[in-house]
Formats: sequence, structure tokens, C-alpha cells
Amino acid sequence: MDTSIRIATAILPLLYAVTTTAYALVFFRDDQRARGWTFPMVIGTLIFHFGYLILLTVRWSQFPVATVSQALSAVAFAVALVYIFVERMGREPSTGFWMLAPATIFEILSALMRTDNPPDNELFHSPLFAAHTGLALLGYAAFVIAAGYGFLFLRLYHELKLRRFSLFFDRLPPLEVLERMMIGALSAGFTGLMGAVIFGSIWAFQTYDEPWQTDPKIIGTLSILLFYGVSLMMRRMNRWHGRQMAIAALTGVAAIMFSMIAVNLFFTELHDFF
Amino acid sequence: MKKRPEESLELLAIGVDHQSATVELREKVAYSQSQAEELLSTLVATPEIDEACLVSTCNRTELYLWPHSNDEGAYRVGLERVFLNRAPEIEEEGRFFVKRGELAARHLMEVASGLQSMVLGEPEILGQVKQANGFAEAAGATGVVIKKLLRTAISTGGRARSETAIGHGAVSFGYAVVDLARNIFQSLENQTVLMVGAGEMSRSVARSLTERGTGRLLVANRSRQRAEEFQEIFPRAEIIDFDDRYDALALADIGVASTGAKEPILHGPGVEQAMKKRSSRLLLLADLGVPRNIAPGVGDVENVFLQDIDSLENLISRNLKKRREEVPRVEEMLERELGRFVEWQRARNAEPVIARLQKKAENLRRSELDAIRDRFPEENQEDLERLTRSLIRKLLHHPSRQLRSADTETADLVAGLFQLNKDDDKA
Repeated sequence: MDTSIRIATAILPLLYAVTTTAYALVFFRDDQRARGWTFPMVIGTLIFHFGYLILLTVRWSQFPVATVSQALSAVAFAVALVYIFVERMGREPSTGFWMLAPATIFEILSALMRTDNPPDNELFHSPLFAAHTGLALLGYAAFVIAAGYGFLFLRLYHELKLRRFSLFFDRLPPLEVLERMMIGALSAGFTGLMGAVIFGSIWAFQTYDEPWQTDPKIIGTLSILLFYGVSLMMRRMNRWHGRQMAIAALTGVAAIMFSMIAVNLFFTELHDFF
Repeated sequence: MKKRPEESLELLAIGVDHQSATVELREKVAYSQSQAEELLSTLVATPEIDEACLVSTCNRTELYLWPHSNDEGAYRVGLERVFLNRAPEIEEEGRFFVKRGELAARHLMEVASGLQSMVLGEPEILGQVKQANGFAEAAGATGVVIKKLLRTAISTGGRARSETAIGHGAVSFGYAVVDLARNIFQSLENQTVLMVGAGEMSRSVARSLTERGTGRLLVANRSRQRAEEFQEIFPRAEIIDFDDRYDALALADIGVASTGAKEPILHGPGVEQAMKKRSSRLLLLADLGVPRNIAPGVGDVENVFLQDIDSLENLISRNLKKRREEVPRVEEMLERELGRFVEWQRARNAEPVIARLQKKAENLRRSELDAIRDRFPEENQEDLERLTRSLIRKLLHHPSRQLRSADTETADLVAGLFQLNKDDDKA
């Protein structure tokens, strides 16, 4: 099994790289043949990746986020999974390069940082923790994808406003489609993170004796959840439009980065598992 | 059935196009469907022409001929009946072109690919070549060569458009507006269009938009009569009072202003008010007026995308530049298709020579065999037949293959070398 894992670890970055290259051909060269290959390729990569994660889970009998390498691979999987959901929603593969390139980078880093024996942490054996972490990963990945679409939306919006037409004008789907994909990703992210908070709370009630609700990371996460919830509500009430939602998606990801890096570094040890 | 003479034949193209003739001349030699069919029937009924087809559009009238013989007869008949009958000045002024053989085939392929079009890569010409094919077939004017030529040209034109970007991007104001709308809206279907102004430019843009399936069409014009004229062309257009244009803007997704007004007729505050009634919907405004019909400040209003004549022209020239960059790719593709066509034609031209060569060899085999047949016993006769046949087949296999891809001169050389003439056919 260890040999299979080693081989899969080497193959996965290649699969991501090839799939991302096909998407790059669609975006930069408008290659019609590559357009036909992208969906089967990304589905194939996802199935292989899912098999790899199952293999890791079975081999170490724990949720595969025990090392930085495993966590990065899980993030790459979550990003690709959310992307394919959003691509099917918008029926538009031309943005795939921008969404799968980060997943490829995560997967390459994961392969480079791979260790043979991950620590056996009891925490990673808990199904509640697995549900909490899995949903959080999906939620954050969806927010990253939403921010990607937010960036592309703003780019096209400003090109149209400023009457400057670049490759983005030629290749990107219309603003309405970009907005729909962005809102889809935001909704998926919100649902995922909400689920992560619920499972995390149940798990924390069972695990910690001391009060954990005031942990800066928890407060940060809840604030982010509230921010996205309010943004989605504003869109539903037609108070915010595509541009405001794009700015909200980018702001949200900036807040997530801050929560992950700054709060983890300076304020809390509750979510420091590695 | 006319009997084909011995000399090798060449495809012939005679034509006038936007590069060689003025629009007045082109109009004189333009043919409708029924005229084209009638003309083609009479052309192939002459002893000089075996096959013909006519491509007649507003920018070109081109006659493609497969002659009965390669003398000047087919050329004269084609030129006189198609062009000089209607516009004798064409010959005097040298306002036509003649292309023969490979050049004629290449020309039709370039036409079908849009390389010869006034607007590089325009899509209509491929459909017009397909129509020409239909007319020629209906007239019974196509044979093996012209059919193959048309099929090759149509397939090359189709590939040029699907495999390269020669037809990508808008190159007219109407389609530039469509292109911009496609970058904003998920679908053009059911999008409401407001035309402010009812002149020629408005009609052209309205045509491009309605062809793409847009929904309601509103028209506001200072002169009600012009608006009604617009409505005659677009019967589903709804006439809006000019003073209600801002209210109409609240309903519209695409607004096009093209009037002769000296001052802007749409201003920022009015548009801002209209946008408040539209919830979150985006609005594309195209200002085709000179001087501008829409105040520049309108472009600053949230969710309004204002394009003026300069930005549309920039978009068009950018798309044309990109189309020009695609020309080498189309030419490369065309070269390959042309190569296949020429090879096919050479093989076809060589067939009579090959047939005669084989017949001559067979006759020789028979006469030599007959001379010695009696010297062999009965039971060896079959082996003798098989051996001599096999020898002939093997000896001629390679030369026949080479002949199929050889030029006319080589075929003539072989015919001379082996004294292959038409009398061999009768033997």
C-alpha cells in the first residue's frame, strides 16, 4: 500500500498539471479540442485524487490532514471539487485555468512536502472532527473559488467600463454568468462553513472542558460566516449587485487569510494541529 | 455524351470581384438563382464546356469551368455568355480575372474561406458557395471535377472557420454591439432593446440584434414618421414617445442611440434615475452618434456600460487585426487541401494513359503468348497465363502509381515513350 501511495503522490501533481494545461489552452488559445477534453480530465483527476485520499485514510486509519502535505492535498481536492460544481452550474470551462492553477500548486507542494510516517493523532480518528475539517475545507475552497470569480468579474466589468478590450474580454463568459458562478461558490462556501461550525461545536463540547467559544479563531470564523451571510442576504434583497458581491468575495478571502495566518500565529493554539 | 479529346485539361476560373470591378459593373453581371441555373444549363450544352458553376454575390461573379478541350473555346464561351453579354466594357477595361488549373482551384478555396472577401473572414460567403453548388447541381452542370472542386472548397471554408479564428470577433457596428452584449448578458434572448433614433445606422444595429433573438424592441425618435418607417421594417417594434425615453430605458437591457442631435439626448441624472427602477440589472448603452448622443458622464453610473463610436471602432479594428493574424494558418490549411485536390486531379488525368499502357502490355502479352502457345503442353497453359499476367502486373504496378501523382508533362512523356495513342483504345 505504501508503494501505491508513493506512486499516487507522484502521479497526482502530473494529472493536475495536465488538466490545468488543457484549461490554459482553452483560455489562452481558444483551443476547441482542449475544450472537449477538460471536463473528462478534471473528473478523472478528481476520481484519482479521491481514491488517493481514501488510500491515505485506510493506510493510517485517520482523516488525511495529519501533515501539512496531506492537508495541502485535501485543500487541492476541495478546490477542484468546488470548481467542477461551479463549472457545471455555469456550463463554461473557460475560467478553469484560473481556478485549477492554485489546486495544482497545492498538489505540487503536497508532493514535495510528503513524509513517510504521519503522526498518529487521536484527534484525526474522530468522525466528528473529520466532518468538521472536511466541511471547513470545502467551505474555504468555495470561498477561494468565489474570490477567483470575483476577480474575473471585476476585471471584465472594468474592461467594459473603461472600453479596453483584452484577452479577458474575448475569453471570459458574460458578467451575468460570472456573477452566477460566484454566487454559487459563495452559497456552497457558506453552507460548508456553517456545517463545519455546527460539527466543530458538537465536537468541541465533547472534547474541551475549558470554555472555547471565546477563542479568537472561533470568533474570527463566526465573523467571516456572518459577513458572507449578510453579503448573500444583500444580494437576495437586490441591494448589492455583481460588483459589490465581487468585492465582498475578495474581502472575505482576505479576512480568511488574516484569520488563518495572523490569528493562528499570534492569538490561539486551539486550531494548531501540526 | 460528348467525347473527350486527348489533350490534358485545365480548370478555368473567370470572374469579376470587388478588387477588379466597380459596384456598377458587378451589378450588371450579378445573377439570381433562376438566371444562374438557366445560364449554367446553356453553358454545359455547348460543345466547348463539360462542367460549370457560378458564384454570384454582391461582391463577385465567378464562373468555374471544366472545358471539353483545353483550347480557348471554353474561355471565350464563358466570358461572352456570362460577362460580355451583360457588360462588354469589362473586357475593354480589363476588369476581370482569369485563373487556370491549380490557381483557379486555389481561388475558389480562398473565396470559400473568406480570404478574398471585402471584410476578411466574413461568414456569408461560405453559404453563398454552398448555394452555388446547389444551383449548379439543379442545372445539371456539375460533373466529377466541379463537384470535387466545390466539395473541397466548402470543406476548406468550413474548416477555416471552425479551426481558426478567421471569422471570430465582430467587424461591423451592429455585431460589435452584439459582441458587447454577449459579454454582459447570459443570453440575448428576451433582452429588451431600446433604439433612440430610427435612421439607417439604427436599423442596421437593430437588424444585428434581432437576428440574435433579442426580445422587445422599443424605438424612440423625435420624428414620429421616421419611427413608423422603422416599424414598417421591424413590425414588432413598439414606438415610444421621445420624451419618455428615460422611462423606456428603465425597461431596456440594451440601449442604442443614433441620432443627428447636436447635443446629448441622454444625460447622467436621467439615466441614474432610470437605473434605480431596474433593481440590479446591467445596462449596455451604445452611442453611435457624432456628435455624441449620450453624455460621457453616463458611463460613470453603476452597472451602466457606455460604449461610443470610438470604442466600437477600436473593437472592430482589433478584431480585424486578429483575423489578419489568422491568415497564415488558413493558408496552411488551404495549401494541404489544394495539394490533395491537385493530386486527385493528376491521378484522374493520368488514368487514360495508365489504361492504355495496361492495354498495350496486355495486347503484347497475348500476341507473344499466342505465338508460342503450341510449344507447351495443355496442362501448362494455365500456368503460362498466370505467369505472364503476373509479370505484366508487377512490371506496371510502380509506373502506374508514379503516373497517378505525376504532372501532365510526365504523362505525355510516358505516352510518347510507349507510343500510347487513342488508336489503342479501339484495339
